[in-house]
Amino acid sequence: MRLFSRSCEFRQAAYLVSADRLNAGERIALEAHAASCVQCADALRNGRSVDAALRGAFSPLRERRTMIAPGRVRLAVGPRSPSTNPWLRAPRFFGRLAEVSVMIGVTLFAVGATLDPSARQSTSTATHSVVQGNLRGQPPVGDIDYLRWIRLNKPDDSPAVSDQTRLPMGGRFDGDPVEIQKAPGAVPR
Amino acid sequence: MKPDTRRDPAAGDGRTDHELVYAARDGDTIAFDALFYRYRDGIFRLGLAITKDPSAAEEIVVDTFARAHRALARLEPDDSLRPWLYRVAVNLSYNRRPRKGVVLSSLDEAADVAFENDEGSPSHVAEQAELRRLVLGAVDELGPKHRLVVVLHYMNGLNLTEIAEVVDCPVGTVKSRLHYALRRLRTHLAAHPELGIEPSRPIIANQLRAPKPITASVPFEGE
Repeated sequence: MRLFSRSCEFRQAAYLVSADRLNAGERIALEAHAASCVQCADALRNGRSVDAALRGAFSPLRERRTMIAPGRVRLAVGPRSPSTNPWLRAPRFFGRLAEVSVMIGVTLFAVGATLDPSARQSTSTATHSVVQGNLRGQPPVGDIDYLRWIRLNKPDDSPAVSDQTRLPMGGRFDGDPVEIQKAPGAVPR
Repeated sequence: MKPDTRRDPAAGDGRTDHELVYAARDGDTIAFDALFYRYRDGIFRLGLAITKDPSAAEEIVVDTFARAHRALARLEPDDSLRPWLYRVAVNLSYNRRPRKGVVLSSLDEAADVAFENDEGSPSHVAEQAELRRLVLGAVDELGPKHRLVVVLHYMNGLNLTEIAEVVDCPVGTVKSRLHYALRRLRTHLAAHPELGIEPSRPIIANQLRAPKPITASVPFEGE
């Protein structure tokens, strides 16, 4: 807790007589009081001296200037417009919207045109067997494999197929070929 | 406020701050430039007095007006924009702490730069510079709150009401701070008789009982 000094209540006003904007009546009253109060007379006299010393000391600093241009402020603020009316920004908004729409449309068109139609079709047949495709693509070297390849590529239009487990071995059949009926409900022997 | 037309042509705009703010709000860049030229030096000096760094003071000027530009829609100056701008500048200045290792110049060094072209005999110039150094050195020894009030009043020319708006406190508090600062300065400067300031005399009981004594308990602010 600070100490409370016992002093005249006008002393602060006496110190601030130059800083505070006293009217003529207040000033006359203060000086009349100072004539009868030692503290206030002392404060009034020395307050003016301190005030004069401060004004003299700060006078060269008051002439100090800077050469900053307002362009630096505009750079710091950025290109934003100070107007806040939303209707003034509407044309710019719609212009931007049209630009973005056209840009997206052109991009989608360009990407779509670069896709190969055969590549798109191949994706639909990708479920077929790769081995089968390979076998159909190139004829094998061996005789048996060649026969198998022909049978694999032959269009299957007959109602019956041979049992593939009983193919000829070594140039002759190892048994009678079995005809398997391709009728519904037929079961192999 | 009267614009300073000596060096800045843009400051010759006769419009009030209120009119300039409304014009700038509508996109008138010339109006905003006029506000800038009107207050840039004062804000620069304020930033320089607090930070003691000219480059930091210039950045404070730019930041202050950048904030003003962003706040144009909300600004409603009655007469002068100065208290609002100075408050922003004070806050920015105190936020800008001096970096370690940076040698800061004091107020009297800044004054020496401004007094280089002073006229008069060399002895007179040297004497004035010495007195100025004494006074500004004493101001530097004040606490930040008291120094700010002194700087705002004696360097920037703000009256007590404007200072109260800038530092956001009642006028009575500003008076109390300035009173305290002047008494401290008197104590410091009384040691130099060339300034013509008498030392504080202790209060003698008989003086308090002088004819027509007006005595009361006055709170003594001594932060």
